[in-house]
Amino acid sequence: MNRVVVTGIGVVSPIGSTRDGFWSALVEARSGIGPIVIAPTERLSTRIAAQVLDFDPSQHFEPKRESLLDRFSQFAVVAARAAVRDAQLEITEEIAPEVATIVGNAAGGQTSVDESYYKLYAERSPRVHPLTIPRWMVNAAVSQVSMDLGIKGPTYTIASACASGTHAIGQAFYLVRSGRARVALAGGTEACLTVGTIKCWEALRLLSADTCRPFSKTRSGLVLGEGAAMVVLETREQAMARGAPIYAEVLGFGMSADAGDIMAIDPDGAARAMRSALNDAKTNAEEIDYVNAHGTGTALNDRVETVALRRAFGASAEGLAVSSSKGVLGHSLGAAGALELVATALALHHQTIPPTANFEEADPDCDLDFVPNAARNAPLRNAMSSSFAFGGLNAVLVLGRA
Amino acid sequence: MEIIDDVRAIISKSLKIPVERLTPDARLDELGAESLDVIEIVYDLEEKFDISIPFKADEGTQLNTSGKNGDGELQFATIGDVANVVKTLVEAKASR
Repeated sequence: MNRVVVTGIGVVSPIGSTRDGFWSALVEARSGIGPIVIAPTERLSTRIAAQVLDFDPSQHFEPKRESLLDRFSQFAVVAARAAVRDAQLEITEEIAPEVATIVGNAAGGQTSVDESYYKLYAERSPRVHPLTIPRWMVNAAVSQVSMDLGIKGPTYTIASACASGTHAIGQAFYLVRSGRARVALAGGTEACLTVGTIKCWEALRLLSADTCRPFSKTRSGLVLGEGAAMVVLETREQAMARGAPIYAEVLGFGMSADAGDIMAIDPDGAARAMRSALNDAKTNAEEIDYVNAHGTGTALNDRVETVALRRAFGASAEGLAVSSSKGVLGHSLGAAGALELVATALALHHQTIPPTANFEEADPDCDLDFVPNAARNAPLRNAMSSSFAFGGLNAVLVLGRA
Repeated sequence: MEIIDDVRAIISKSLKIPVERLTPDARLDELGAESLDVIEIVYDLEEKFDISIPFKADEGTQLNTSGKNGDGELQFATIGDVANVVKTLVEAKASR
């Protein structure tokens, strides 16, 4: 079995779309949450989201090509290009069939859906844009990544709601570890901040009216976000041979399903995914120094996730540093796990724990070290990144210091 | 028909519990209502009375009118609480 390392990172995020800019904002707890400006809000009660505001598609795509890509595909392609560039990787004709790409996504091309349905239902238009389907389909992003970079190996989309990005990177890890792929480009993308999608989220009554405060007693719900992150995974041997930067090693991946509630996180299912990832990584709980938690900022998730962490880590939960990046990034659903995996890899790389932003007050029900508001330098051997999706689908990755 | 009768009818239909058991002091959670049942009930009430109920699904037995947890102003735990919330909102709408 191959050892697998992260050699390239690309992000498109509400806190910047360069690797270093993303990391600085995360460490400084500079939140990307702000007033919604990318969608009209007169029919919404929600006023805030974590939007990617500095993204100009015309800087990345020719006009003819741009019209083929929904925003969620644009994000994925731009992040994928950046990751490949960062890895100093050339995808030649020769290796292309041995390169895999897997992209997690929850909602598909919602901007395109929203526009076409608006024309159809509101404007009573007899026709919609002819490219609505190729923009909308959930696999559009990964297909565009493969086309853009000439990737010809295993290529598919994973849809597991808020765990999609983590599942995608986990699957890519399996492909490289087993030798099925020489290189894998994996991550997640989401761009569903449309009136229709936000309205449907409002109906669930889980959105915060002010901001996202993970694990804080004053937390008031989740804040929707958008963005993409892609990472290059390859064998450690190959990365060292070609002198590529190595951010972290992927040690293990665990998955589970709750087989319970369609909405509520289950402590047993979440803990089983964490244990499974630790077993796969052949790592003991006490060897994990940091967990980048799912931490959505809802009352239920953060309380139950704390219980799950205690179950999975036992006595070593006491010394464990746990933080959620969602106070800064919002919750970008299918992209969240990938952005957070990047945060976790960079934490190991910089030996710095990014804090839980917007933390106001400790909650007796969330009694772990959540690294409130201020980053912390600490020797980090191994770290974990967890995602727990609606539908009870859990995915957890374990990384080690390179 | 009193508001509480409509409230009981809607909850009865949603939870498949006979109206007679839905006494004002019966608690939604003790009647077996899960969070998804409650947000559907809230939606049905909003549609029926054309009101907006500031209910957070997140472990809410109180209405969060401030946006933060723990300092809601109105209880939302019992059938009587629900009827009271609806009545308050319907009256507020009428006086606008």
